[in-house]
Amino acid sequence: MQLTIELIITFIATVAFGIIFSVPKRALLIGGAIGMVTWGILQGGLHFEVSPVVSTAIASLSAATTSHFLAKRIRIPVTALAIPGILPLVPGSRAYFTMLSFVEGDYLTGLEFGVQTMLQAGAIASGLVFALAIFSFGKGIGHRYEPNR
Amino acid sequence: MGKADDVMDICLLAGEIMLKYGAETYRVEETLERIAKAATFKNVHCFATTTGIFLSFEETKEKEDLMQMVRIDDRMQDLNKVTEVNQVSREFVAGELTVKEAHEKLTAISQAPMQFPLWVIHLAAGFAGSGFSYLFGGSWFDLLPAFLAAIVSSLVLVELERHLKVRFAAEFAAAFCGGTTAIGLVYFGLGANLDQIIIGSLMPLVPGVPLTNAVRDLMSGDLLAGVTRGAEALLTSLAIASGIALTISIFL
Repeated sequence: MQLTIELIITFIATVAFGIIFSVPKRALLIGGAIGMVTWGILQGGLHFEVSPVVSTAIASLSAATTSHFLAKRIRIPVTALAIPGILPLVPGSRAYFTMLSFVEGDYLTGLEFGVQTMLQAGAIASGLVFALAIFSFGKGIGHRYEPNR
Repeated sequence: MGKADDVMDICLLAGEIMLKYGAETYRVEETLERIAKAATFKNVHCFATTTGIFLSFEETKEKEDLMQMVRIDDRMQDLNKVTEVNQVSREFVAGELTVKEAHEKLTAISQAPMQFPLWVIHLAAGFAGSGFSYLFGGSWFDLLPAFLAAIVSSLVLVELERHLKVRFAAEFAAAFCGGTTAIGLVYFGLGANLDQIIIGSLMPLVPGVPLTNAVRDLMSGDLLAGVTRGAEALLTSLAIASGIALTISIFL
């Protein structure tokens, strides 16, 4: 029940974020749905006691993969779907507590929260990168050697 | 002679709109190269960073190269315009549009008003803020104060940017005003969890577009654009953090 309420709120909040970023109208509800699934996966991971960073990475990967797939289908730039999709993962709460601890002079707690924030942000980025790697086989730029020459 | 200039015009116009309203760098470069190649020009090269685009191609075989650049000063977020330019370039490459029609369409896009009126955006900021304050562990009583505080921060952000045109100062002031509103509302008994309400009021300011674009640019090899976008996102976050730090140290 709690999860259902959270999912509905995530949907509304993600669609609202889509409006803030002025996402095209036909992509608004899809972006909201992706955000909802993302939140569901994150909470599912936390429920089965996967660490928050890993859950975030998995949720981010699934959000980015879905947005890449759907963006090809309805022919819009991936960002229009991916940005609302990963927004529920943004570690806003931890970032705030980092700042709060530093303001209150509690540097150790601040560092702890700060490291958690950085790791979670890194997890979001890694999910995006993996999805990108999946969807850009054969294009993109080479690296180090030229084996096909 | 005339055709090369016209194609150069539509390329740079398309690139300018896309980069200004938050497209990734690789998308800008690819779109411009595709448009120029579809107009049968050879030796097309495009280099885009976060603040400017260079484009060159051969006008006639092996002589008379054409090269122009545009500087992009504003960076806004309107993904709808990026999508529309994408559509125009796709139609042009498929041969469904002439150069003149494409130019007309692009001009129309660049002059079009925002997709949603401002009050809808402020309202959306309110909903986003209150939604995230609940998701980050707030209670039902925090929805209304977070809604109000998020609307205040969104209003301050938009109005300051409109009149002052100073980057990062608008985010700083918006975070400060949003945080102050949240503290004031809780002080007068509206809402229980101050932390969650403040987080909610900050969420509409999150620099989502530069952050995602920075990752994307770095991964597709546009190191320069990626690093600059990352720096922009970092500075925006720092501005938000210092704004909220100021209000907390004054009022709490």
